[in-house]
Amino acid sequence: MALVSIEAFAHGVDDSTRNFLQSNTGVQILPFMYIGAKHMVTGYDHLLFLVGVLFFLRRSKDVLLYVSMFTVGHSLTLMSGVLGGIQVNAYLIDAIIGLSVVYKGFDNLGGFKKVFGVQPNPKAAVLIFGLFHGFGLATKIQEFHLPSDGLVANLIAFNVGVELGQFMALMFILLGINYWRRHSSFNKFARVTNIALMSAGFMLVGMQLTGYFIN
Amino acid sequence: MSSTENNGSLTKATLGSSIVAGIVLVLFILPAEYNIDPTGVGKALGLTVFNEQGEVTQGAQQSGDSANQSVVLTVPAGKGIEYKLSMNKFEKVTYEWQTDGGDLYVDLHGEPAGDTTGYFESYTIGTLPEMKGSFTVPFDGSHGWYWKNKTDKSINIQLSFSGEYIVEGLK
Repeated sequence: MALVSIEAFAHGVDDSTRNFLQSNTGVQILPFMYIGAKHMVTGYDHLLFLVGVLFFLRRSKDVLLYVSMFTVGHSLTLMSGVLGGIQVNAYLIDAIIGLSVVYKGFDNLGGFKKVFGVQPNPKAAVLIFGLFHGFGLATKIQEFHLPSDGLVANLIAFNVGVELGQFMALMFILLGINYWRRHSSFNKFARVTNIALMSAGFMLVGMQLTGYFIN
Repeated sequence: MSSTENNGSLTKATLGSSIVAGIVLVLFILPAEYNIDPTGVGKALGLTVFNEQGEVTQGAQQSGDSANQSVVLTVPAGKGIEYKLSMNKFEKVTYEWQTDGGDLYVDLHGEPAGDTTGYFESYTIGTLPEMKGSFTVPFDGSHGWYWKNKTDKSINIQLSFSGEYIVEGLK
């Protein structure tokens, strides 16, 4: 019999991963790293935010700094969220993550300076939104009621995987942006991309808020 | 951050992006994610098949009389799903289902075709890990199972059936 299975990806965790997460016991470094990496690579909301963050960073020193801020932020809340058993409504967290994408697109278009006359500290913004992204991850992981045996080591492995996945995704994003930066169409490309980012962010917010209100 | 925006075009960009987002949400995302489809476009495009209630792993045979069909359904923790067959009055279906562990609340019932009042007639109600039997329907309409998973783990059902019907599938 030909079997067709419909898997839901996005911010969630697909079925085979779910089975693994619920039935695993003890310390399993590599599988958890793999899940973390996969989550990051397939988590379009994180990636959209990173596209926004990286957009106008030219120097690799800046890239490293901003990505580290994001990493510190989401690692903190991922670990403390799971270990402290802090439950936040997943839809609301994901709506805020959507908002972070809108924020970054608007910021890249120079919106805060133009409309409000101030430029909020972009490093602080990345750190703060990183904290929310980490809460999103923590909330997802907690839905699986992971066995406490080996939990800390597994979480650290998951987090390392998230960073590896982020690193891989970043390479592609940076390649794309740097390629365009050398062309005269970059300013136009930048404008269109950041407007598209805002739009995608609004979609995420709308989708998650709808989910919140109907569930 | 560098930018060539002025205030007017910035407002336009923000408004435009939120309007596009709203349109895409209503036409495509909400139908696919939540089965909310005010325009009917989602259904026309077949996007509502993903509705959140459950996931199907379905056999190759889709419809047909008397063919023996089998599907695997997942009932998420704390949720309910419906699997329905469209049948005419006095047609009969023989069925068998079992879970991969754990009891499910089940209501085997039928809804008359064209009825909008929400009326349904239950043929069997129980909380069981498996069940087999047959039913002959008393009216034209949509007939089948409602399962509710009251545990905190998702439960799979292997359902097979044969008889006279057209598969409506997950509702």
